[in-house]
Formats: sequence, C-alpha cells, structure tokens
Amino acid sequence: MKPDLKLILSVSSPLLLLIVWQAVTAFKLFPPEVLVSPTAVVAAFGEVIATGELQRHLSESLTRLAGGFTTGASLGLLFGLALALSKTVEQVFGPTFQALRQIPVLAFIPMLILLLGIDEVFKIVIIAKAAFFPVALAAYDSVKGVPKSYFEVSSLYRAPWWVLISKILIPATIPNILAGVRLSLTRSWLVLVAAELIVADSGLGQMMEMGRQMFRLDIVMVGVIVAGVIGFGLDRLFQLLQAHALRWKTA
Amino acid sequence: MDYVPHSQIPGHKVKQTGAVSLKGIKKQFNFKDRELKVLSEFSLDVQPGEFVSIVGPSGCGKSTLLRLIAGLDDTYDGTITLDGQRVAGTSLERGLVFQDHRLFPWMTLEDNIALALTNRQISKDAKAKLVADHIALVGLKGFEKAFPHQLSGGMAQRAAIARSLVNEPKVLLLDEPFGALDALTRVHLQGELQRIWLAQGSTMIMITHDVEEALYLGDRVVVMQANPGRITHTVDVNLPHPRDRASPVLHRLKDEILAELTNVPEAPNSVVRLIKGDDQ
Ligand SMILES: Nc1ncnc2c1ncn2[C@@H]1O[C@H](COP(=O)(O)OP(=O)(O)O)[C@@H](O)[C@H]1O
Ligand SMILES: [Mg+2]
Repeated sequence: MKPDLKLILSVSSPLLLLIVWQAVTAFKLFPPEVLVSPTAVVAAFGEVIATGELQRHLSESLTRLAGGFTTGASLGLLFGLALALSKTVEQVFGPTFQALRQIPVLAFIPMLILLLGIDEVFKIVIIAKAAFFPVALAAYDSVKGVPKSYFEVSSLYRAPWWVLISKILIPATIPNILAGVRLSLTRSWLVLVAAELIVADSGLGQMMEMGRQMFRLDIVMVGVIVAGVIGFGLDRLFQLLQAHALRWKTA
Repeated sequence: MDYVPHSQIPGHKVKQTGAVSLKGIKKQFNFKDRELKVLSEFSLDVQPGEFVSIVGPSGCGKSTLLRLIAGLDDTYDGTITLDGQRVAGTSLERGLVFQDHRLFPWMTLEDNIALALTNRQISKDAKAKLVADHIALVGLKGFEKAFPHQLSGGMAQRAAIARSLVNEPKVLLLDEPFGALDALTRVHLQGELQRIWLAQGSTMIMITHDVEEALYLGDRVVVMQANPGRITHTVDVNLPHPRDRASPVLHRLKDEILAELTNVPEAPNSVVRLIKGDDQ
C-alpha cells in the first residue's frame, strides 16, 4: 500500500468521529452541559495550556507512571524469571501468583487506601501492581517456552553459561517479554488515570475530576483526549522499540 | 568388484582417531506406571574414519542411540568409548547434526557457526578463519550475513553441517540429516557430505530411512529392529567411493536390506519381481 493512502485511511476514522461529534452537538441532541462541542474543547485546551494547568497535571501523572511502571515491570521481570527457573519458587509462589493476577487492580484500591492512605506511595503501588503481572507472566511463560532443542545445541557446543544467557535465552524470550512489557505499560497508564480520578490531588485524572465537579465538561473532554493520545503515543513508542529489538525477524 | 578400503582411496585422509565403540548398551525410558525398553544389548564398533549408516523402522531407538553417543543423555547401561576413552557428557570431539537444522533464527549464518566456537580458547582471528573456511567448505560463501529464514532448507542444513564440523570433531553423528529435503537436494547434499568426508577423514555415523542413501554413502550399513532396538543385520559395502548409484551390487544390497526391514525372506521377493517382469 502506498504510504499516503495508508495515512489517509488511518486518519479517516478519527476524522469521522470528530464530524459526528460536531454534528451531534450542532443539532443539540444532548444538552451542551453534558456533551460539549469540539470547538469548546479546543478552547478549553488552549485555556489549560495557557494557565499551565495541563502541563503541571500531566507531568505529575507521567512522573508517577515512570516510577510505578519501572518498579512494577522490573520486579515482575525478576519474579517471572525466578518463577520459571526455580522449582522451589514455583512451588511456593506459583498458585498465589496465578490467583492474585485474576483480581482486577482497581479492586485493590479501597484496601490500599486504608493501608497506605492516598499519598504518592499509594499511587505508585497501584501502578506497580498493574505493571507487575503482565511482565511477570510473559517472563514466566517465555522462559518456560524456550525449546529444549536450544539448550541441547548450547550443550553440544559446550557454550559457557553467559553465552547461553546472552546469545540464546535473552533473544529467545525477548519478543514475548517485550510484548508483556508493552501490555503492562498500557495497563499502567489506564490504571493511573483511573486511580487519579478516584483519589489524588494532582495529575491528569484529578484535572478531569475537578473539571467534573465544576461542571467544566470541556476540561473533562480535554483530559479524555489527552489520556487517549498519551496512551496511544506510549504504545506506539514501545512498538518502535520492539521492532528495533526484533529486527532479525524481518531482515 | 574388488573391495577398496576407504583408507586406500586417493585423496581420502584417514585419521587414526575417531574409533567409536558401543558395548552392551541398554537404554530405557521410565514412565510413572511402566518402562519402555528402547535399546537392548546394542554393541557396535566403528573404525577410525569409517562411514557407518544405520537404518531401521521409526521408533526403534536410532535417535536415542545418537543422543547417547553425543552425550546429551547419560542415563544408560553399557559403555560408549571414543578412542578408548569413555564418553561423559557432550564434547567438541563429537559433533551432531539433527534432522531440523536447529540454527538460531536471530543469528546470521556466520554467528550461528561462531556459536560453536564459544568454548574454544583460540584468537578471534583464528575463529573468524575457521568460520569462513567452513562456510566455504559447504558452499555457502556469500551468505555469511544471511539469517536462517532467508536460506532454503538445503542451505540451512549445509549451514548446520558446517557448524557441526567447525570444531573438527573426531566423529560426526548425523540423525536423518537430509530427511526433510526434497529428492534432488538430497542427492546433491549426499555428494557434498561424501566430498567433505573424503576430505576431512572424520568418522561418520549416519541415521537415515533412505536405504539407497545408506548404501551410497556407507562403508557399512547397520539394520536395526524395534522393541527393543537392536542390530539384526549388518551389510559391508565393498565398493570404492564415490559410487555409481546404478551399480547392480548396490541394488542387490538394497533388496537384501529392504527384505530384512520388512522381514520378508529374500527369495519370494525376487520371485514376485520376476513374475511382475514377465507380465510386462
Ligand atoms: N525423552 C523420551 N522420553 C520417553 N520416551 C522417549 C523419549 N525419547 C524417545 N522415546 C521413545 O523411545 C523410542 C525410540 O525413539 P527414537 O530413538 O526417537 O526412535 P527413532 O529415532 O528410531 O525413530 C520411541 O518409542 C520413543 O517414543
Ligand atoms: Mg529419529
């Protein structure tokens, strides 16, 4: 497909959404206090940028995301590897791990608020929890899934252990682990915005919550759009990283 | 035709090393409720530089046998020695080629071959030279930077052979190395393997389900039967290498082996052929 055609096709659906939105508001199908028009949202966007409000909330959110995601994903990676490589770890933690990962992150919020209050620690913990499980699961599954034949070839040539790890195990597992990390990044962002909506004094979610309380639905919509765009951007960025790491597949 | 030992074939280097001896090998797999006897009292002596082909029905323990010699599995009774030394674990002296090439998909051809040298205490330059020489040996010059998925099945299998030879093993074990290839490629690679064998002089033990291939390449063809896996027949192929595929001797030996494999006595088989011939 020609690149310009691809571009046209990929912007066509957001454009259509925008047109429908504009039409719905123009015909006043909903009261304007409930569904604001795109133009009002653009104006509100200009406003929150001018006052620096958006930048402040966004940077708070992204800092939280970085802290929580990095903590959760690295712990998840280590735990997943340990679970896959050690029989003992698997026996002791395996069932608990499988059970805990079925519980939605948001279900932990009330309990965590009681335990940790609504401070920064709480938010970091909730994001870390969201980031932890997809990475842990991906690491566990992918190490378990390394074909026995890879170990046999390594053994035939008596490759030293560091060669086994760096040249065989890491490349063999990295595609799945990266896919898990990507999932956990998206999850973390979703959970972060949701958590900020419920309890926070700053952050993108809180900006939306304050907008809602003041009946500034235009600001809420700005938050919705920014949350979507940031989530999309993070995912795309990660996709590029993934493609770079997996060059050999398409070379 | 008179027998010409391979050691007297012009251009065939024969090393004095690479004698493989299997004595009373017993191997079984234990399951929860039962045990599966795979090899029973398996004994075989392979001379240095000899090419031994092994044929047998599938499931008779051929792959298991090679894995024992390679050292990938140490749980068996009996003794396996290489030049009088008991084998224990894997070693660079014993190479193994699988039916699937087992190249790592994320490594280029040369990196795949270089992986086999990671345990060698030689200079970087010496390693690079070994890799280049062996890529040339199997006729893959120009494909050094290619990834396995960019190679045809035959090329990938050549690469696997190059990798297994790069440490100059005393014995090369081949487990149906051409089994997954099309007939034409197979014939071609048989010739290549023979050329390499004549040039390098290492001992070869090859498993195949292709009796013609076994006879074309082998100094000796060992026929196995299943349950438990054991040798039921051995055929010496007293023909010089490279052989004429149309040789009547090979055809007669092929019939003999096929008869053994299908457990039908030789005579009725020939009668059937004669009758068929008369009909036409
Ligand atoms: N790791 C294993 N565990 C249990 N049974 C095995 C294993 N490997 C092979 N077998 C069994 O041993 C028998 C011989 O297998 P194999 O050596 O692969 O036969 P061949 O290569 O002659 O076809 C088969 O019945 C097979 O199912
Ligand atoms: Mg087999």
